[in-house]
Amino acid sequence: MEENINMSVDEAAVEPVVSAEGESVAVAAAPEKPKRRINQQKLQDNIWGWIFCLPLIIGTVWFVYYAFILSLILSFTKYTGNDGSLMDAIANFDVYVNTGEWGAAHWYYDLFNYTSGTSQSWQTQGVVMNEMGRYLFNTVFYMIGIPIGMILSVFFAVCMSRDIKGGNVFRVLYYLPCVASAIAIVYTFKIMFRTDGVMNSLLGLKDFTYPDNNKGFVWIPEGVNIGYSWCTLLGKEVTVSTSDFMKDPFWCQGLFSKLVIVIMSVWKGLGGTIILYVAGLSGVNAATKEAAQIDGANGWQIFWKVTMPDLYPTIFYNIVTSVIGGLQIYAEPELLFSTSASSAGFPNVSGFVALIYKYGLTNNKEYGKGAAYGFFLAIIIFVLTLFQFWLDSRNKD
Amino acid sequence: MAENENMVTKEAPLPGSSTQQEIRDYYSPLRYGWGAFCAFFGFSTKTHRASKKRAKLVMDIATYLVLLFGAFLMVYPFWWMIAGSFAATYPQNNTPIFTLIWWPSQSTWTMTLDKGGVKEPMGGFFNYIYFFGDAFASGASMAGFAEGFTYWRALLNNLIYSIVPVVVGVITSASAAFAFSKIQWIGRDVVFMLLLAAIMVPGPSIMITQFVMYSDMDWQVNGLVLIIPGMFGSIMTAFFIRQFLFGLPTSIIEAAKIDGAGYFRIFVQFILPLAMPAIMAQGLLSFMGCWNNYMGSFIMIPQNSPAINLPHAMYVLNNAMFQGNQGPNIAGAVMCVLPVMILFACFQKLIIGSLMLTGSKE
Repeated sequence: MEENINMSVDEAAVEPVVSAEGESVAVAAAPEKPKRRINQQKLQDNIWGWIFCLPLIIGTVWFVYYAFILSLILSFTKYTGNDGSLMDAIANFDVYVNTGEWGAAHWYYDLFNYTSGTSQSWQTQGVVMNEMGRYLFNTVFYMIGIPIGMILSVFFAVCMSRDIKGGNVFRVLYYLPCVASAIAIVYTFKIMFRTDGVMNSLLGLKDFTYPDNNKGFVWIPEGVNIGYSWCTLLGKEVTVSTSDFMKDPFWCQGLFSKLVIVIMSVWKGLGGTIILYVAGLSGVNAATKEAAQIDGANGWQIFWKVTMPDLYPTIFYNIVTSVIGGLQIYAEPELLFSTSASSAGFPNVSGFVALIYKYGLTNNKEYGKGAAYGFFLAIIIFVLTLFQFWLDSRNKD
Repeated sequence: MAENENMVTKEAPLPGSSTQQEIRDYYSPLRYGWGAFCAFFGFSTKTHRASKKRAKLVMDIATYLVLLFGAFLMVYPFWWMIAGSFAATYPQNNTPIFTLIWWPSQSTWTMTLDKGGVKEPMGGFFNYIYFFGDAFASGASMAGFAEGFTYWRALLNNLIYSIVPVVVGVITSASAAFAFSKIQWIGRDVVFMLLLAAIMVPGPSIMITQFVMYSDMDWQVNGLVLIIPGMFGSIMTAFFIRQFLFGLPTSIIEAAKIDGAGYFRIFVQFILPLAMPAIMAQGLLSFMGCWNNYMGSFIMIPQNSPAINLPHAMYVLNNAMFQGNQGPNIAGAVMCVLPVMILFACFQKLIIGSLMLTGSKE
């Protein structure tokens, strides 16, 4: 190694001198020297290329790929927190392997058939849905924030990219929520959306007393599983008791509580997407725009026929990343509705990740089950992403 | 307008080609007045042609109004947070913070405390002082913190978790980016695709296995879990620095090589300084991400460990203690947000510029 470096350095130092002295010398030296130099250089390139990449490769393989493969293996076992180390479980796979309706894939069977706590009235009444379905429904419900946020951010981005003074100031102000800590935001919104809070004051719902005598509209319920829904608001006889709220079908329960999360995530995510769209809009061809203007197109037509096609890659990127991120929603609903440090997973409001946490890391620490649920999430995300790319490719033809 | 043209055989006079008097005679006074009204606000009609200057002025004003309204919505919760942190909620009166709109009805600046019959002013920063001191002191028993866990410990943890892995991680990412963009080596493209594919693996789906791995290595109670994995660098950071490095001329590196510099020296003396804007921006963004990393601490570190970070500590405190006294809770929220806000305010040009360049989010 040392020798190689020295040699290449020597030759590199010699070369300019040679060319400076005269052509004849350079030609005479040419047949032998360059060949050796290139090989030296190639060796150097290979060694240093790998060295520079090594930390990142080790990190990725160790913490992502290795963990992912172990996840897949674990998902076929009944390994829990009470058992030995992870390596022990992998080595004795035949001992830990799951036995159930679908053999080793029992947790995947469980995923589609398990209905936890069916003794509770709110889970049997209304439209019955198994647990995974309820949590997935919540996750998908939160994704209605994606199109709303997209329309709003394109609108604001178009406003900002007009040549007005102080556009940068607005960009910074709109980006503020993105850098703020989720927990601070959640605690703020939790109080702002109280029955006697500022939101009800602004929306004129402070004296709202239907369907119970609670003064003010209940956005975020105090208890665990209650909350207004369309059904309760549209004339169902409701007393204050918890169980009556839960006679609504599952998709209706806690509707307005979920809406708070949607409002919050739109508010928090707007700035980031606006910056993306402003960047995308600055790339829109000004000459095409002017040509359209001269041909008599109005602003609306220019927006749809010239600006939007140019903005399409940004929008596509944005949708893909938003869907991937949206499926992984966890902290916001948990923080907004948790009442004690030990609570995990609310069937009315929690995202799918809460289910992974609930089974994998609380109570019995059923690592195998958690891993299976996690793997299922990975499959969903992968399939959805592929689907979007397929739509995109079909769109281009 | 179409009906008008059918009824009247005479061709409609157009603004520009006919005099204003002709147009006024042709159209009804109401129609003509409406045209004048529209033209005043910058909209051209068949009777009047609005000036472009006026149209731009009106649209500018409308844009400002819309943007100001949006900016108000964006900033208002932060103002609410700051106002709320001055609400006098101690000991058991949350009404001033619950009903707060602009400024609490009872603020810590004006309220007094009854200390053994003697009335003392509360002090404007009562909630902050309470949050720094008493909240954590009583939290040790009530919330299940480790013995002697204070706000300052949480702050120190947060600083360690967001400085050490970010600084080391950005440098390792930059070195990988350098190798991917400027060095030709066997297997480069394969490795790059392999790393990019790792982005597809969603974090929550491997979080259980990672939890078991870290707990087998005893990285959890001492908080190493939030330090060591970050030090290996991040793929997205490497990707964006790589994009930036593609813009640098390769001739600089060639020149350095000819002058006898090895790759390590080139990286330290040329690439790091030249790519500093990208490295700084990516570092700041990861710093903010690590500072706000509630989930990492919540999932990986048990809450009775002294290694939990600030958001996690706030979550534990809020659930155990602040049900009857929300003022200090909001003061804590301000303390979570303030450092990143100040950082963002200082470097906003760099951060926004980098975001616009790379098209990354967060």
